[in-house]
Amino acid sequence: MSSTGKTTPDAATPPPLETLGLVVAYEDDPPLLENLSFRAEAGEILGILGPSGCGKSSLLRRLVGLEIPRAGEVKLFGEEIFASPAALARARQKFGIMYQSGALFGDLNLLANVSLPLVEFSSMPPAAIEASATLKLDLVGLRGFERHLPSAISGGMRKRAAIARALALEPKLMFLDEPSAGLDPITAGDLDELIVTLARNLEITFVVITHELRSIHRIVDRAILLDRGARGIAAEGTPQFLALESPSPAAKAFFLRDA
Amino acid sequence: MARPKGYFTIAGPDREGLVRLAGTLNALTAPRRLLPPKLLKKAPPNLHADLSGLASLDLNGATYLLTLRESLRAQGFTLVYLGLPPRLIPIWNLAKENLLGEPSAPPPAPLGFFASVGKGLFAFAGDLRDQVSFLGEIISHLGGLILRPWTGRWGSVLNVANGSVVDALPVTCLVAFLVGLILAFQSAMLMQGFGVDIFVADLVGISIIRELGTLLTAIVLTGRSGSAFSSELASMKSNAEIDAFVTMGLSPGRDLALPRILALTLATPALTVLADLAGLLGGNLVMMSIGHPFRVFWDELALHVDLSDMATGLFKSLVFGFTVGVIGCQRGLYAAHGPSAVGEATTRGVVTNILAIAILDSLFAVLFYVLNW
Ligand SMILES: Nc1ncnc2c1ncn2[C@@H]1O[C@H](COP(=O)(O)OP(=O)(O)O)[C@@H](O)[C@H]1O
Ligand SMILES: [Mg+2]
Repeated sequence: MSSTGKTTPDAATPPPLETLGLVVAYEDDPPLLENLSFRAEAGEILGILGPSGCGKSSLLRRLVGLEIPRAGEVKLFGEEIFASPAALARARQKFGIMYQSGALFGDLNLLANVSLPLVEFSSMPPAAIEASATLKLDLVGLRGFERHLPSAISGGMRKRAAIARALALEPKLMFLDEPSAGLDPITAGDLDELIVTLARNLEITFVVITHELRSIHRIVDRAILLDRGARGIAAEGTPQFLALESPSPAAKAFFLRDA
Repeated sequence: MARPKGYFTIAGPDREGLVRLAGTLNALTAPRRLLPPKLLKKAPPNLHADLSGLASLDLNGATYLLTLRESLRAQGFTLVYLGLPPRLIPIWNLAKENLLGEPSAPPPAPLGFFASVGKGLFAFAGDLRDQVSFLGEIISHLGGLILRPWTGRWGSVLNVANGSVVDALPVTCLVAFLVGLILAFQSAMLMQGFGVDIFVADLVGISIIRELGTLLTAIVLTGRSGSAFSSELASMKSNAEIDAFVTMGLSPGRDLALPRILALTLATPALTVLADLAGLLGGNLVMMSIGHPFRVFWDELALHVDLSDMATGLFKSLVFGFTVGVIGCQRGLYAAHGPSAVGEATTRGVVTNILAIAILDSLFAVLFYVLNW
């Protein structure tokens, strides 16, 4: 992998994330999204954009194997995750995820939250686990808050702690669900900077769900825009392209919201 | 990368103390010990580790190597790392900077036996003080209400009372009925042997009216209404709704707790009367099953159960209702912060209430004995 974090896709190394003909639907309801095929290339920050309620979080739950899609395939690093229970278990070690709510464990302090994946899945000795969890908290700017409970820190800090926890095993693929929603512009800006830093320095591929325009322009390399009417990908490309050149009316509506 | 569990190998140490590390070092491949104690015993004090064979290293791996060096130093070994491939240097430095940074605050030392007993007692005393001060607040609001009854939130009193009585009615009556049945059955077995089974009516009647009907009702209301008060108020607190209430100039004690407490205080005696009836019916059923006509039970009761028995039972139920309401609301309004606070407040409310009911009931037993009621 080159040091810039960008690689040209080639047939030999499968992309971190690839979907083929994915259908997102709940029970007997008509599908929210149909025939989704897209990929995230190694080292890029892929944005999944779309208005509230179009099915972004629902899509994410299928990408990480929490729910089985009605049809289609999800491949992480070339392996179909729904092929077998063993494949699903393997897939879960390959990515980190930050849920929209943070989902920190309320009765564990931040250090214990971040250490937990290491304690459960690694063979490192306790001293190394603690040092490593401290390092992750430091990376997200939470040095000094190791012993705080999630309830004792602010919302922005909780999101950063959730990113630190997702980073614990240093996966090469991270999913973030609305990292900057509900944050003030300065905190959101810090978070965006953190994501770009991690992507470039640790060569992590990010799949970021978001509908914040500022954050999209700051961090996203390439994006797919979901649309409820189209029940799928309405437009695809760099944020600049989507905002200025795309002929798609959904892209216009999305990017020219309050400009 | 798609294969997180790559290989990682260690060779050595040889006679010069050289260890060779090779392969992928990350959280999943790092061994718990770099050198087993057996090998370490034979190793010279100056160790060198050759990292040139490392194919990949992440922050976890680098932190692992750095903490290992520290722990070996504590055992009297020096470990020097050599030959780190240049492309891994940025990761190495990132991990190293962090380890050289400010050490985080050490975790609080676990308390010794006496310290934890002392802390427990202190917390208990604090708890008791909170309850007494809340009781004082409620009594003063109650005084205010008696002076200006038109300021009361009678609508919500009626709602809560309605809910408590109607919802709790079936379960309370069923429990009381069964307890009356069991009590009568057990004593009838015994008394029939002496030919005094007519007194089963008095035993069941007095037990139910003076003690059991009251107690059962209070316990059912603890589980239904008291716990509901705790969880409602605790979740309002954790949502900052209580704060919003206070900043609006309202008083949680007067406007949220008092209506609930009043409602429960008034509802409990009503429910107790019905529970008593159900318990007596249970007793009567057993009497009938051993050959006494329906009327005999009630005639016997009329002879031996007097107004003071009814009055003690109902007076106690009034006090229990008030207690369950006060403790339920207090636990909710004084809930701690954090996501587990609602559940904790509810559990503590129920436990405190059952304890309080048992203690109060014993005090009443002594009091009524002394007063000869
Ligand atoms: N568990 C569920 N069962 C049925 N419908 C759901 C469920 N979860 C979400 N939905 C529906 O799916 C739609 C998309 O929700 P979501 O994926 O959360 O959207 P987004 O994250 O894009 O805002 C919404 O209309 C929502 O009501
Ligand atoms: Mg969502």
